[in-house]
Amino acid sequence: MNILEVVDLRKKFGDNEVLKGINFSLKKGEVLAIIGSSGGGKTTLLRCLNFLERANSGSITVNGKTVYSATEGEKPVVSTEAQLSFGLVFQQFNLFPQYSVRDNLMLAPKLRAKAKKKETGVEPESIEEIQARADKLLATVGLTDKADSYPCQLSGGQQQRVAIARALMLSPDILCFDEPTSSLDPELTGEVLRVIRSLKDSERTMIIVTHEMEFAKHVADKIIFIADGVIEEAGTPDEVFGNPQSEKTKAFLRAGEE
Amino acid sequence: MSQFLEVCSQLAGGFVTALLLFLLTLLFAIPLGLLVSFCTMSKFKPLSAVSKVIVWVLRGTPLMLQIFAIFYLPGILNLFVWPQMNTGWEWFDTTFTTRFIAALVAFSINYAAYFSEIFRGGIQSISKGQYEAGQVLGLTKKQIFFKIVLLQVVKRIIPPMSNEIITLIKDTALANTIAVYDLIYEAKEFMTTEGLIWPLFLAGAFYLIFVGLLTVIFNKIEKKLDYFKA
Repeated sequence: MNILEVVDLRKKFGDNEVLKGINFSLKKGEVLAIIGSSGGGKTTLLRCLNFLERANSGSITVNGKTVYSATEGEKPVVSTEAQLSFGLVFQQFNLFPQYSVRDNLMLAPKLRAKAKKKETGVEPESIEEIQARADKLLATVGLTDKADSYPCQLSGGQQQRVAIARALMLSPDILCFDEPTSSLDPELTGEVLRVIRSLKDSERTMIIVTHEMEFAKHVADKIIFIADGVIEEAGTPDEVFGNPQSEKTKAFLRAGEE
Repeated sequence: MSQFLEVCSQLAGGFVTALLLFLLTLLFAIPLGLLVSFCTMSKFKPLSAVSKVIVWVLRGTPLMLQIFAIFYLPGILNLFVWPQMNTGWEWFDTTFTTRFIAALVAFSINYAAYFSEIFRGGIQSISKGQYEAGQVLGLTKKQIFFKIVLLQVVKRIIPPMSNEIITLIKDTALANTIAVYDLIYEAKEFMTTEGLIWPLFLAGAFYLIFVGLLTVIFNKIEKKLDYFKA
């Protein structure tokens, strides 16, 4: 069964149609890389999946459950469960500056446990359990020694690794990355890409909007090339990079090689 | 020497009144200012328009005029507009408490207007990314504001707020225009009854020392929030 199914997703900003009917699906453990030139709609697609923008029409189905379905002119309510089926790592990290690294990880799970306890009377997870999970994830991204540091004391690469761990704390079904290395110095991209690669090895389903073509080629199971709000080309890395069918894809890939 | 002590004790009494006015104004003006800043930022146009007009009037007219308005207006309405209603309001020539309350109301709404603009600037300076990060982590709007945004706003608005708060303690002197017995009122009493000028300067020293204390406190708070960058 597909873990994610996106059907005919459309998004307009005023009269400007940014997404013109996007369809794709993803199996559990698959990594999808979305490539394309700036302004083509790839970030908007990611933002629609994370409900930072509400698609005007179309549907999003996670694990067979439709979490978002809109027809022209209505704005569906997004439940917390729907929201948490996706996680998002931002280009600009967006860590909470006043919290230590560990507290950045623990904030949302703590508030969630509190809300659940209020709702059902049972505490789903104690503070100690949340902290144990946080420390384990920090070890996974190689930042155990930075647990008590504040974001301003970390390099960009370290901040982005914290952001990845923070997103993983809520165990999203699908983890999304919006150009995760675009605001990093070249020598810091490697450490972030290594973490993403290790997540692939642990069967995590991911969608990555990226400009790192080499990385996309090696890590992704599927590539989608978006131009002018439509999926211009989709397939395995070998198909898209090795034997592109559409003229736009060919032109885009050629431009990248020059 | 005994005269100096007498002046000191009179002025100290006036200072306590000024201090009380200062503290109570902060107590009311800060939450009110926050409320007004939310109204100004509201997407509901009539609400934001009304609150912008209110802020304009309160910042655009002299505070002294506002004190007079709050103090005299109910009485004037009572005399000329609704004499037949006999509301029982007796604002003229009333007790110290009512005069103090009139001054407090005027200060609170006036400072709420100024605070609201500082709060608005602080809130709007926080990057959208902080809200979005909160949203994708499943936080509610309320949680995002109180757990993520608020402390960053506080850190950013401390310098302008300390400015306003320092201005407030000196503005309390305007209350003596409706005979609230503040520092300046007491010092002027010595001038008119005993021909002494120096109590006025001593009153100035009271303000100066208090502002020095405020400056130290604000520096401490700034230091305390130095551990993060926002």
